[in-house]
Amino acid sequence: MKQLVRFEYPPELVPAFRQARRLEWLTIAYLISTAALMYLTMGQSQAMKTAWFEDLLSLTPAISFHIATRVILRSPNEDFPYGYHRAVSIAYLCSSVALFAVGGFLLLDSATTLLKAEHPTIGTVVIAGHQIWLGYLMIAALLWGTFPALYLGKEKLPLAKQLHEKNLYTDAEMNKADWMTASAAILGILGIGMGWWWADAAAAIFIAFDIVRDGFTNLRQAVFDLMNQAPKTVDDQKPDPLLDRVRETLAAQPWVKDFTFRLREEGHIYLGEGFVVPTEVSDQLAQQLEDTARQIEQLDWRIHEFLLTPVRELTKQERA
Amino acid sequence: MLRGLLVATSLLLIGCNGFPKDPEHTLDQVRNGTLIVGYSANPPWVVKTANGPTGTEVALVEAFARTLPAQIQWRNDTEQNLFEALEHRQVHVVVAGLTDQNPWKEKVAFTRPYQEVGKEKHVLASIQGENAFIVALERFLHQQEATLPPSVQP
Repeated sequence: MKQLVRFEYPPELVPAFRQARRLEWLTIAYLISTAALMYLTMGQSQAMKTAWFEDLLSLTPAISFHIATRVILRSPNEDFPYGYHRAVSIAYLCSSVALFAVGGFLLLDSATTLLKAEHPTIGTVVIAGHQIWLGYLMIAALLWGTFPALYLGKEKLPLAKQLHEKNLYTDAEMNKADWMTASAAILGILGIGMGWWWADAAAAIFIAFDIVRDGFTNLRQAVFDLMNQAPKTVDDQKPDPLLDRVRETLAAQPWVKDFTFRLREEGHIYLGEGFVVPTEVSDQLAQQLEDTARQIEQLDWRIHEFLLTPVRELTKQERA
Repeated sequence: MLRGLLVATSLLLIGCNGFPKDPEHTLDQVRNGTLIVGYSANPPWVVKTANGPTGTEVALVEAFARTLPAQIQWRNDTEQNLFEALEHRQVHVVVAGLTDQNPWKEKVAFTRPYQEVGKEKHVLASIQGENAFIVALERFLHQQEATLPPSVQP
């Protein structure tokens, strides 16, 4: 069976890849510390519980990133002739399922709390002989959940685009969700302090909506990717401009009369094939096919394998 | 949003007099008024006598009422009925030799343990979510800790 040549990031992207891995280790350590702090100060607050769940959950992209980046480096073999790149798509699917499911659960849970009009109790704790309202400690723990998350997310976004890593991008978005969650939870705690018992559950619902929305968008994209949807950009999920460059390259070939092509995402890389109608069938056809395919593969590191097949003619349907 | 949050936080932390507040204003109503205390016999914490309740927890609540200050109105009933009364905000505090393992902790607010006897952590029960009142009660209990005997054997 024909195997894909072993592929890793091109040399110029290796530093970005290393940086991404470092950031993801940092993220794991940071999220565990936040989750521990929140667990210790949770009390009966609904928004704190939401923020805590969200923190545990937001470990998924970082952990699946580490597993996937290890798996994709394996060489293709008889069993896996296309290599292990889809591991990235699977990691992306896991992250988005987790995100979506917990968002939904939290939404229900907070809504029930609000409907039952449960009043959250936040008492005091004694630390080193000082008696402190637990709400202040919660706010302190939540502040630790805001600024570092903001920083991590900002650092990851450009890397995710460079590396075409949707899972990394989800993670950067997750960090954004983290700091928004924490901020909303702080407002919820302050609300309770003001005697507005509903503030807490309301904050939790607001947070949950945001998680559900993020989860749904990503879940949809992860499923589409596994169904070989045409490549989409990492950030706004618009058609990848690389498609136009492939089209232009094929159109510029003097020996090509008519053509059509398709690409699909295989984790962070693309595979695709083109069908061309040659102007005339000469002895050079094999050479021309091979050269053009190479030229397209060299357009961008993401195009890992591009196959060209000569055909007699293309129907209107095929061209579209 | 971040800046606004920081400003709001620091303002509240500076002006933290009367923070947290009660949603139902329990502390304001009790202060210079009446503290309704439910009790259920559980010696030596709560002992029922012909002249009203006595015992460690009864003494604690009486001392707490003096700090507010407030008159105490006693109400004797079963633990179950008292917890239901707490849920409906008909009493302010329940004393019954409760520990923090009581399954009612989801429905009512237990204070921090004011005393540990063996592995039992003793608490008083109050209305859920009335945070100013609970903080006031816990603050009082914390101040009493030093004066309580380290371990009262039932």
